[in-house]
This record gives sequence, structure tokens and C-alpha cells, in this order.
Amino acid sequence: MRAIILLPLLFAAPVLAQSAQGDVSVTIYNNNLALVQDVRQTTLSAGKTIVEFPDVSAQIRAETVTLIGADFGIVEQNFDYDLLSPNALLKKAVGQMVTITTTNPATGAKTNERAKILAVNGGVVVQIGGRIETLSEYATNQIVYDSIPPNLRARPTLSVTLDVARAGTRPLALSYLTPGMGWNADYVALFDEAAGKIDVQGWITLTNSTGTTFTNARTLLVAGDVGTLQQGPRNYQRGMSNPRGNNAGTETGSRERVGDFYVYPIDGRTSIANAQTKQVSFLDAAGVPARKGYEFRNGWMGASDEAQSAASVLKFSNAKAGGIGDALPAGTVRVYMRDARGQSQFIGESSIPHTPGGSALALKTGDAFDVKVQPVMVKREAITVDQWERYAQYRIVRKNGNVESVETVTYSVPKTFYLTQMRYIVTNAKPVPVKVDVVQAGLNSWWWWRDLRIPEESIKGEQVSADERVWEVPVAANGKTELTVTYVTPW
Amino acid sequence: MIRWLCLLLMAWSGVAMAQSLVTSSAPDKVGVTIYRDPNRSVDGALDLENLQGFALISETRIVDLPPGVVTIRFEGVASGIVPQSALIFGAEIAEKNRDAALLSERSLLDAFTGQRVILRRNDPATGKFTEETGTIRSGTAGVVVQTAKGFEPIYCSGLDSDLIFPNAPQGLSAKPTLSMTTKDQPGGRRTITLVYLSQQFDWQANYVGEFSADASELNLFAWLTMASSDDTSFVDAQAAAIAGKVNRENTDDSGPEEAQSLDRRYNCWPSREAMLAQPVPEPSMVYAPAPMAMRMKAMDMESDAASIVVTGTRRAVLENLGDLKLYRIPMPVTVAANAQKQVAFLIKPRVKGAMLYRVQYANGLEAPQMLFRFKNNKANGLGEPLPAGKVALFQQGGEQRFLVGEASIADKANDEEVDLIFGSASNVTVETSDGESEGKNWESRRLTVSNANPTPIRFEAEFPVADESIAFSKFTGKMLARPGKLVWTVTVPANETAKLDWRETEKD
Repeated sequence: MRAIILLPLLFAAPVLAQSAQGDVSVTIYNNNLALVQDVRQTTLSAGKTIVEFPDVSAQIRAETVTLIGADFGIVEQNFDYDLLSPNALLKKAVGQMVTITTTNPATGAKTNERAKILAVNGGVVVQIGGRIETLSEYATNQIVYDSIPPNLRARPTLSVTLDVARAGTRPLALSYLTPGMGWNADYVALFDEAAGKIDVQGWITLTNSTGTTFTNARTLLVAGDVGTLQQGPRNYQRGMSNPRGNNAGTETGSRERVGDFYVYPIDGRTSIANAQTKQVSFLDAAGVPARKGYEFRNGWMGASDEAQSAASVLKFSNAKAGGIGDALPAGTVRVYMRDARGQSQFIGESSIPHTPGGSALALKTGDAFDVKVQPVMVKREAITVDQWERYAQYRIVRKNGNVESVETVTYSVPKTFYLTQMRYIVTNAKPVPVKVDVVQAGLNSWWWWRDLRIPEESIKGEQVSADERVWEVPVAANGKTELTVTYVTPW
Repeated sequence: MIRWLCLLLMAWSGVAMAQSLVTSSAPDKVGVTIYRDPNRSVDGALDLENLQGFALISETRIVDLPPGVVTIRFEGVASGIVPQSALIFGAEIAEKNRDAALLSERSLLDAFTGQRVILRRNDPATGKFTEETGTIRSGTAGVVVQTAKGFEPIYCSGLDSDLIFPNAPQGLSAKPTLSMTTKDQPGGRRTITLVYLSQQFDWQANYVGEFSADASELNLFAWLTMASSDDTSFVDAQAAAIAGKVNRENTDDSGPEEAQSLDRRYNCWPSREAMLAQPVPEPSMVYAPAPMAMRMKAMDMESDAASIVVTGTRRAVLENLGDLKLYRIPMPVTVAANAQKQVAFLIKPRVKGAMLYRVQYANGLEAPQMLFRFKNNKANGLGEPLPAGKVALFQQGGEQRFLVGEASIADKANDEEVDLIFGSASNVTVETSDGESEGKNWESRRLTVSNANPTPIRFEAEFPVADESIAFSKFTGKMLARPGKLVWTVTVPANETAKLDWRETEKD
């Protein structure tokens, strides 16, 4: 009967536990780290007082906790993560008195007996009156405990022992670091190939897997990676695999900054629920000039039987002049295009690092179905030192005028030289002409030897680095262009 | 379809914020574009249990919005949705949320920790239930309830007891839910297009070819095979498939979230932890079946019924999409959950080509391959892009149809040459032997090809022009130059042999 009377009371309030959090501010960094500041109005009694802080992040880094408030000193701080479970309860009850309720399966009659738990080692041994019994998990008896040991908690709980000088209510500012929250940017680029323009939207995506919901929090996102000891140095996968045409810019965005980092505040207050992915818009630019290019990168002496697809590369800039004029936090750019019926279709994605304003971006979106390159090795033969010397006039000279024969003196000069002739057959099955950047890598195979000689190339190439040379190969609509290059190298 | 659910006044710890909530329960129109797993090999089969491709879903939904800031909940989206990829047309969006906190026994316990619930016990003798209220004192690591008598573990004895919760907490949903909050807007009826990527789809091209009697022509037919292992069915969808390789980043798009199950007996007794490595869910109190379990059930049902739908009368239509190829299925189709569907996309009854036998110089000469070679152009009766896939080749032999072999095609554009390598020959043999002369760093070699067929054959032997260690010269046959190769092409008459001599010089 009593239960029925209680029910309406129970059902009245929607029962998601009322959060004990106060005024919460969350600063979220890119690398799975957040700073939580939580100001709670707390009533303290004078003297030595234990204050518990429920609803802190379940992944709190307890060693980073600071507590600020008036008229108290901190005696000690505890983070209890010994969780209450039937098993933990049983283990902690060794030597203590409990009540054992036994139900007679035939009659349903219940008997209560006081018992002392003697041991819990792979089974439970109890003393009931003068006799010793063992309890089995399938038996029809129920252990009822008189109390719960104080440090067994339902959830990991932070508690602080304070020495309070003056009783009363005051704000306590709790601040700590927690992993489990992070953010990155997600970009949507809608590419209009005919007009040569893209519309770019930027979204901040933040995720919360701390196990705790932060309600009505002021939220600030910091772009850039703050150093943390636990993660070690971060390595960007820059360079090698990215298409050519990515150049860092020097424009300063209009964003708020903290030190070296850009800061993205979220307007108003927001609740970040546990297991939630939240996205907030931060960038919207339309009609940014963009163009598509093709690139094919070949390894040293790479040859193939079948033609390989060239990469489709989308190129644009985030400079003010183009319409974006903002630094781009690290994230993924997803590129869409409209099909013949005007429906948006996905054509590929690419990740970008933190990109300062005014940078040139070149994103590989995928492989081109109709634009292919077949690299073929035409000739590979050893030549004599005399022949090598005859090719001296074809030395590749870098922009500063040096041949960059790095300290050749200290290393033995090679005795064998090779002449390698490559042909790159570039085909285009599209009804429009294209230009394909053919990149030959591996021209810096010996780091101390930079004396590459190219006696013959059918299209003038550009040495973009010691390792790479690039040719811009024009191909007519439904056409084919062959690029032939002869390399003279000691490898 | 579209209903106004309610206008909720949401109060968050003192700060009241009026916000309307509109629920869109299902899309009015949907488009599904399937992308091939970019990392699956050309001849790899679809792994129906674990599809690694993805799809772009575009849903058109009509909603009536009240003025102001509105939160729109989208129900019935694909379960494999990648929430970061969602974009929307037709409304100005300030915030998108994806809530993956799912309703389950475990999350209920978690939500009600420290709160009062009803504890129901069954009397084993009478079968009667008794109820009393208690407070959950533990979290999800095991259940301890405080009752009038003291602190009791639940589910840990042979007695039958259950917890009854007064309601399902807010914020927990049966399925992960996508919602969006608009900026301040005037309200009214809106057509919203929601576009997102979803995992667990895949497709591939499957070619079926039948040789003419003289093997000079191929009747080529191609299926577009689409598969979905998503939980959501898309009814009357505009379906399409994209050919070509699309770049995907290795981001942690974890698959559909699944509710964590509660092992009731875990942590009960000291020895239980070790004994029970696998959680054993009990059937008596299931609030929401975990998505995994639902999927398994659906799959069982599918395997009983015919899950492969074959539609051959209409053909998918080719369209260029940037540097990719889009195959659009012209009629609305249903992309069903956990099912595979096939639609024809290529029917070319007379593709002209040539059957030939080939050996390639790779550490000596190996057994000759049989292949059918054609140039993909209009003159040969083709001239269509060929997306990567497997090819099954048949030939009519008397009354019966025989499988000749299986081959694979990489993505082939117009005007490319295609070699369908479908087997190794048994009636054509190749022998190599030392020739008659040798020198200091060279030797002469001889190749003899024997044709045991009652018909003449075309035979090719390929030699690399720029081998690292060996230079080939002084061929006695007529050699054709192909990119990177010198090719001896010869017709071997029925039941005869042909010979080629050459010199191999070692390079230093």
C-alpha cells in the first residue's frame, strides 16, 4: 500500500538526476583535453568539514584540481573510485555482522538471522550463532547489510576536507583538467566546377565521452595543440602524401587569440551531454574561387603495366581576398558537387592541419576515372665516368645557383653512373582538355649527393625540391600526351 | 508524416529558455548514393557481414516551423550516420547535435542511482509478487539497493527480484538521434534537405560475359550490385552508385553506437568476475534491444526470405560527376535494410576483341595465360567507362553453357585497352631451352610454343625493354614495341609449333 501512495510523488519529476554542478565554464582543446571551471554555491560549517563534489567529469585528472574560495584552508583532497558493488560490499564486510534472510522455497516463510562474515575467498563463510555455514550464489538467502562503508561510492567522487574559518554559504570555484572531451573542425565545400567556385561552411564538432553531462556551460574552444606530457610530441603528416600547392599563409584572422592559439567561443550557454556530438557553425563563405587540378606522383623507377588514375586535387585559398579570410582549425574537408539533377553528391574528403589565414590549399579528393598516367621505363643502362662528365652541362641548378653537391669531398665519389629514360603516357578520356602535374620523386636518393643531370625532357620541368621534379603536361580532350625524360644519376 | 510533437519549455537550472521542438519522423523523399569501399581490391567480394563502403543519403523533409529558435529532431536516419558529415539545406542552422546516450537497463540504473525505485520480489511458494520501495545506492558496477531493512544486493541470489523504474529518463533515446537548432527565423512550412554520409554500404560491378562461338566477340552484361547492412530501409529511394576512387580520411567514424548491456550477476560474488568473462544478458527485463541484437535478428529473417532482389529490365544511367562516374537507377527503388540489390548498368551484346595466349618474362617464362583483349571504344561495340569489378565468362558449348573462367577489371576509361585474364592454358605449352651459342656475358635462348588446339591461336611473348639485370637482343621473330615492352606476336597454326630465339646479355 505504501508503495502506491509513494508512486505519484516519484513520477512527478522527470528523473534525470538534478546536476550538482554550478556555474560551469568549459575550455576545450583539440587534443582530447578540457579545462572545466565549476563555481558552486556551497554551505560550509565551521571547523573541519568534508565537502563532496558529485557530477565532476568521471575522467577527472584529480591531480589538477584547484579549489578557490574564501575563509578556508584545504586539509586534504580525495578521489574515491572504489565503486560500490555487491562484491565490494561483501569483501568490506568481513568480520562484521549482517542479516541473512532465508526464504523457504516450499512455504515462502522468511527467517532472519544475524550472522558474522568470516571469510570471502572464492566463496563466503559465515558464522550464524554457534554454527559455520557457506553461502552459495544459487541459494535462496539474501544478505542484508547494516551500512555501506564510507569510501564505497556509486560513482567516482571527489571529496575535499576543509578547515573552515567562518561558517556560511559562499562560492567555491573548482577547476580541473579532464580528457574525454575534444573538438575538431569539419568543413563542407560545395564545388561548382563550371563557375570555378566553392561555398565553404565550417563547423566545430565537439564530442563528450567523459561520462558526465555539463549543463548550461559557457564553452570556449581553443585551436592549436597545447603540450601535454601524456601524449608526447605531435607529428603532423605534412609533406610527402599531400598534393603540391599547400603553402602556409601569413594573414592574421579576426578571431580572438590566446597566446599562439585562436579561440572560438560558442555564443550563449550550451549543454554538452554525455555521449553527444555537438556541431556549431563558425564559418560561412560563398563564391570562393577554386579550381581543380590533376596530379600524378611517381616513385623512382616506378613503372606499371596499366595506366594509373591521377589524383583530382581541389585548390583554393583561405585568404581575405578569396572570401574566407580566416584561419582554419585542423579538421576534415568534405567536398560535394551537384549532379545533373542538382542533388549534392559527395566527391571525396581530405584532412587539413591548422591552417593560418592566407594559405594556399590543395586537397586530394580522389582519383580521376578518366585521367590516367602510365609510367614506363624505356631505358636503363650503366654509363662510364667519361659519359657522366659529358652530361655535366645538364646539371640541375637550383634557384640559388648552386648545384648543391653537399660535401662531396668527404664522401667517395661514385664510380658507376646510370642513364634512365622514362616515358609518362598521360591519357584523358574527358571531353575537355586537362593539365596534369606529373611529379617524379626519388631524385634525392643519396642525401649527400645532389648532382642530378637531365639531358633531355620533352616538356620543360621544374625542380620543386631536391627530391622532386614536376612537369605540367597538357592533354587535349580525349587525347594523349607522352612525356619523355632522361635522368643521369649515380643511383 | 510530419507532426508537431510539442512545444516544450525547457528549464535548465534556473535559466529558462523558450525553445520549440519539432520532430520530423521520416523523410518524404530520399536519395541513396552508394560508394565503393576505396580499400577493397578489384576482385574482392562484398563482405555482407561487414560492409566497408559508405553511402551519401539525402533526405527531403517537409516541416512546419514555429517562429523563433527551433530544434528539429530527425528520426529515421540511417543507423550508420557519420554525424560530422551532416549538412542541411533550406534552414539556417546554428547547432547540430547527435545524442547517442541510449536507453538500456544499464543507462536506466545509471540515471536512477541515488533515487527511489520499486523493488518487486516473487514469492517462490505462492508465485505472488510483493513490492517495496528502495534507493539505488550503487552505480552500474553491480546493484545494491537500500531498503527499510538495510542494504541489499539485488540479482545476486537464487531469489527472483526485479527493479521497476517510474519512467524513462529524458535524454535517453531508443536510437541515436540527430537534432538541429535553427537560428531565429520567421517560421512557416519549410522543405529541408538533410544530407549525410552513412557507413555500412557497399557496391560493386559484376560483369557477365558470353563469348561468341569463334570467341571473337563478347556479349557483355553488367550488374550493379548494391548492399546495405544498415538497420534503416529506404523506401522508394532515388538510388545511385559512384564509380571511381574517392578519398577518405582515416577518421574515427565509429560505427553505430550500441547500448552497453548490464551483466546483472557480474560483481556479485568473489569468484564471479573470473567465471563470467562473457556478459550473459537475461531476457526477463529488456527495455530496448541493443542494435546489434536487432540486426542479428533482422539478418536471420532475411536469410530465410529472398534477400537478393534482381531487377534486370531497367538499366542504371551513366552521368559524369566531376572526375567520378555516377550510375543513377532511373526508377525509385527500395534500399532495404540488410539486403543486396542488383540492377543492370551495361548491356553490350557484341564487343569485338581477340582471344590470345600470353607469356610474360618475369624470372623466366611462366605458363601461358588465356586472355580476351579489347579496346574500350565505340568501334568495338563498347566505349563506356567500366567500373572495377569481377567478370564471369561463359561460352555456349553445344546445348550447354560453360563457365570459361573469372577475371577482374580495374576502373577502365574510354579508349583504354582491357585484358580479361581468365585462366592458364592447358592446350598451349611453352618451353624454353638454351640456344646454340653463348659468350662471355651472354647466352642465346629459345622459346618453343606448341598448340594442341584444332584451331590456330594468337600467341604473345612479352619482354621488358629496360630490365635491371638482363638486356634482350637479336630476336629472330618480328617484335612489336609496346610501352616498356617488346612483344613477339605470332599465330600458331592448329597442332603446330612456333619458335623464337634471342640473346640475353647480363648487365653489369
